[in-house]
Amino acid sequence: MMKKIIIISVSLFLALSLSAQNQADMYLNELLVTNTADFQDDFGQQNAWFELFNSSYGTVDIGGCFLTNDRNNPKKYIIPKGDVLTKIKPRQHVLFWADNQPFHGTFHVNFTLAESDSIFFVASDGRTVIDCIAVPKNLSENVSFGRLDDGKGTKDGKGTGWAVMERTSPSTNNSGVDGKTKSQIMAETDPYGGIMALIAMSTVFMALIVLCFLFKGVAKISMNSQDKKSKATQKSASVEAKTVSVTEASAESFAAIAMALHLFNEENQAHDDESFVVTQVHTDRTYSPWSSKIYTLRQTPQIIKK
Amino acid sequence: MSTGATIIENLKMFWSFTGFHNATVSHLIMILIGLIFIYLAIKKDWEPMLLVPIGFGILIGNIPLFPGLQVGVYEEGSVLNILYQGVKQGFYPPLIFLGIGAMTDFSALISNPKLLLIGAAAQLGIFGAYAISLAIGFTPSEAGAIGIIGGADGPTAIFLSGRLAPDLMGAIAVSAYSYMALVPVIQPPIMRLCTTKKERLIRMKPPRPVSPVEKKIFPIIGFLLTAFIVPSGIPLLGMLFFGNLIKESGVTRRLANTASGPLIDIVTILIGITVGASTQADKFLQGSSVLIFGIGALSFVIATFGGVLFVKFFNLFLKEGNKINPLIGNAGVSAVPDAARVSLNVGLEYDKTNYLLMHAMGPNVAGVIGSAVAAGILLGFLA
Repeated sequence: MMKKIIIISVSLFLALSLSAQNQADMYLNELLVTNTADFQDDFGQQNAWFELFNSSYGTVDIGGCFLTNDRNNPKKYIIPKGDVLTKIKPRQHVLFWADNQPFHGTFHVNFTLAESDSIFFVASDGRTVIDCIAVPKNLSENVSFGRLDDGKGTKDGKGTGWAVMERTSPSTNNSGVDGKTKSQIMAETDPYGGIMALIAMSTVFMALIVLCFLFKGVAKISMNSQDKKSKATQKSASVEAKTVSVTEASAESFAAIAMALHLFNEENQAHDDESFVVTQVHTDRTYSPWSSKIYTLRQTPQIIKK
Repeated sequence: MSTGATIIENLKMFWSFTGFHNATVSHLIMILIGLIFIYLAIKKDWEPMLLVPIGFGILIGNIPLFPGLQVGVYEEGSVLNILYQGVKQGFYPPLIFLGIGAMTDFSALISNPKLLLIGAAAQLGIFGAYAISLAIGFTPSEAGAIGIIGGADGPTAIFLSGRLAPDLMGAIAVSAYSYMALVPVIQPPIMRLCTTKKERLIRMKPPRPVSPVEKKIFPIIGFLLTAFIVPSGIPLLGMLFFGNLIKESGVTRRLANTASGPLIDIVTILIGITVGASTQADKFLQGSSVLIFGIGALSFVIATFGGVLFVKFFNLFLKEGNKINPLIGNAGVSAVPDAARVSLNVGLEYDKTNYLLMHAMGPNVAGVIGSAVAAGILLGFLA
């Protein structure tokens, strides 16, 4: 019973930590402090903004998480729950306006970047800081500060992996949208498919060669243990043979027995390895016409010959 | 308007809804292809489990439709479209692999693990077809999807093409299944061409009995190893080895029975009918489909050459008595058990007492693993 409780507790803990892991996939990705000629919000206003990025390949709901510019007040701005727009799709960005006008909507926080030393993205538990970044003080107008590659770099607030960006990229990739697909890269690097064929065939061979050697090893171990068992059986059989005289069966008898067993197994679709466990469970059912078999059985039509 | 005129007007409108009014030559060609599939399945017994659903699916998909009725396979929300999601999103192929795992006995492979290498060699068909597709002008993603036809594995072909080249999936799937059905026609001449009479008569050592413990360990080690090497193959490899574990564990017989029986039957029906229906004339009858069929045939030829010639090469390093009959080289493709049956039949033509089926099953199931690994590699490089 104790074991079961421990297993269930561990599973629950893991499940909870997994849900926290989803939020942990979010990154503060880019910010702009002084906005005079950059992106406008839905009200036509130009304000400071910062961007979050979902680095995972699953949707993350950030509803209920917090944003703050004060480490001692981690619950300064709660991202409203129940807004479909807070469900961030895989590898997508979301933009927050730091305009101190939260009544403008979900994505307008109650502080500004000009007054902030750092900004923090806090998990829905209100304690765990998922990401933070120090706001640079000497950033020029309409110039953003962001991660060189989306979701890459540390989350300790020291700005490793961050740099002043050549161009602002609100709600889109920091490294630009003109990245090549894997297929395009392959077309350039391996136009005839030779490299791919070589790498792939080597990989397939390597995988199966390793499997082959592993199973040779397993086979050796298995055969050794079988040999030991058969030797032990032979020993006990020889002891028995001394006391009981056994008439040697002919090869035909063995063949007949093997064939009979084979046919029996085939007919019964028997498995090689039987469990040898028979379980009988007695169940009590109170009678009800709803569950009565008589009413659910179809009557076989009978042909009456006249 | 008089009553007569109204009736005529309504009848005209009704006529415009009918298939007769909307039919084009392309529709009729596709319906003919569907009928040929059904004929081959019923009359010639060529892969009936696949060709009957696909053939009938082709009929369903090529009834000329008045657009907007929400019945076509490509019309969002239609019943066929909902069923087609299993192909499009790729969840039918792993379920089929679960069933294949639950019905496959890996004993032949475990008893003689070197046969695994034949399964690897036959994957040459995939990469040969990949190179040919590139040379013809397909993009690397499309070439990867076309190349997988050479693995002779319908579910894998659907799985990969759904991710790499969804527009070509219909042609790739139909091509893969068609050539799987044609394995008994394509492979024997190549096998005869590549082997001498002496080689065809090689008798192989009978496989040793495999202990239940080995059978239980195989899917676990097999999965861990292959998945660590090619994580992108997890959906197929995971389901294949999981299916095999529930078969061999001995304690989950009900699960194994379901996976290898009703489940795989249901998914086979759904995959067959929806793949068939996806070959709508306007999407299917294009120059690229003809090319795909041509490359598909070549890929099977290359795969067979690869498997048979590899065995001959491998035999150079094996002692007399341990040599492998090159006629089982063709079975390295994953058309289970048809390719192994071809080995048996060709072998019996030259020696009536040389039964190669059990030996050929080794490379045949290795081919299933090999093609799933190859698909994972293509996915990793090109997706």
